[in-house]
Amino acid sequence: RFLSPEFIPPRGRTDPLKYYIERKDMIQRRKVFNIPEFYVGHVLAVTTANPHASDKCSRFVGICIQRGGKGLGATFVLRNVIEDQGVEICYELYSPRIQAIEVLKLEKRLDENLMYLRDALPEYSTFDVNMKPVPRMDHEEIPVNKVQVRMKPKPWSKRWERPKYNIKGIKFELPEHKMQAAQKWSQPWLEFDMLREYDTSKIEKKIRKELSEELKK
Amino acid sequence: MRLSVAAAISHGRVYRRFGLSPRSRLDLLRNLVTALVRHERIETPWARADEMRGYAERLIDYAKRGDKDERAMRMADFWLTEKDLIHKLFKVLAPRFQPHSGSYTRLLQIPNRDGLDRAKMAVIELKGNALPPLVRPRRDSEKTLLNQLLKGYRQDAQRAAAP
Repeated sequence: RFLSPEFIPPRGRTDPLKYYIERKDMIQRRKVFNIPEFYVGHVLAVTTANPHASDKCSRFVGICIQRGGKGLGATFVLRNVIEDQGVEICYELYSPRIQAIEVLKLEKRLDENLMYLRDALPEYSTFDVNMKPVPRMDHEEIPVNKVQVRMKPKPWSKRWERPKYNIKGIKFELPEHKMQAAQKWSQPWLEFDMLREYDTSKIEKKIRKELSEELKK
Repeated sequence: MRLSVAAAISHGRVYRRFGLSPRSRLDLLRNLVTALVRHERIETPWARADEMRGYAERLIDYAKRGDKDERAMRMADFWLTEKDLIHKLFKVLAPRFQPHSGSYTRLLQIPNRDGLDRAKMAVIELKGNALPPLVRPRRDSEKTLLNQLLKGYRQDAQRAAAP
C-alpha cells in the first residue's frame, strides 16, 4: 500500500512530538478533503480558491516534477507550458485554499525529481489543459514511463550529466569525452558510507498502523 | 548571500572531518575497522574511535543478515581490506552478536598520548572478546559505614541461626 512521503519524519534531533501533532492535523485534513495517491510524473489538475478570479476558483493542469517538504508544509510542483511559456506552480498539499486535486494521467518516471524538464524541449512538458482523465485499468500497478527526454542545447540550469543527480530519464547527446569528464565528479565511496543510510522500515510500519487506525474512526 | 559564511558554520553536522578529503576519511576509518575486526581491541585517538564505532556496529548489523546477501557481501568487501577477515566477520562475529540487538563495542578513555601532541586516546574493543578484561569490577572497601553495618547484621543473623 502507498504511504505519502511527507508522513515520514526526516532524520534529525527534533522532538517526535512535533511530528506526531503534525500527523494528527494532516489526518484531520485528509478526512475532510481527499488527497489522492500520486507520484512524481503524474499529470494533475488542481483547483484553488482565488478571490480575484471571476469564478472564485482557478484550475491548473501540469506534470508533477517534485514533491518536497515533510509534515504539513509538504509541497508539490506542477509544470506546464502554456502559450509557449513554461509555468511552474508550487502547491502545498494541506493548504485550505485547494478545492480539488484530480489525477488525470497515472505514470511514474525513472527519476524522483524531474527538474530537468526545464532544460528539455518544451514538447515534453506541454499537457492539454482540458485533458480528460485517463481511465485506470488495474488497481494494482502504476506504469513506469521509460521515456528518454531530449534536451535543449547546453547551457542548462544544472549540469544534469553529473553523477550526483543520477538521472536516468535523459537521452544525453553529448560527446563521449564530455560524459567521461562528468564522471570525474562521481563519489563511488558514497554508497558504502553506512551512516548516511536512513532506514525507514520500522518508522513506516508504525506510521501506517497509526494512519489506518485514525482513518477508520 | 555570502556562501563563505555558510561553509564556515557547522551547526548540526554529525560527521567529523579526517584526512585530506571525504574519500581519505573513509579510507582512514576503513583501516581502523579492519584493525578492530582483526585484533578486537585497538588504541587510537578518541575522535577516530568515536567515528569508527558507528561504522563498526553497522557493519556487524550487515553481517548479521548473512553472507548470502549480496549487499552485505559488498559492504564487507569494501570495509575490510584484508579479505580473510570477511570470513571471520560472517562466521565468528555475526553469530557471537546474534543475541544482542545494539551496542557491540565498548569505548573507554585512556591517559593522553606520550608524544608531543598529547592526544586524547581511547581503547575500542568488541564485547565478548578473548582478551583479559579492561575494567576489573572493584568491590567496595570493607571500612565504609554501610558495609560495617551489613557485616554486623550478617554476624547477628549467624549467631541467631547457629544454636
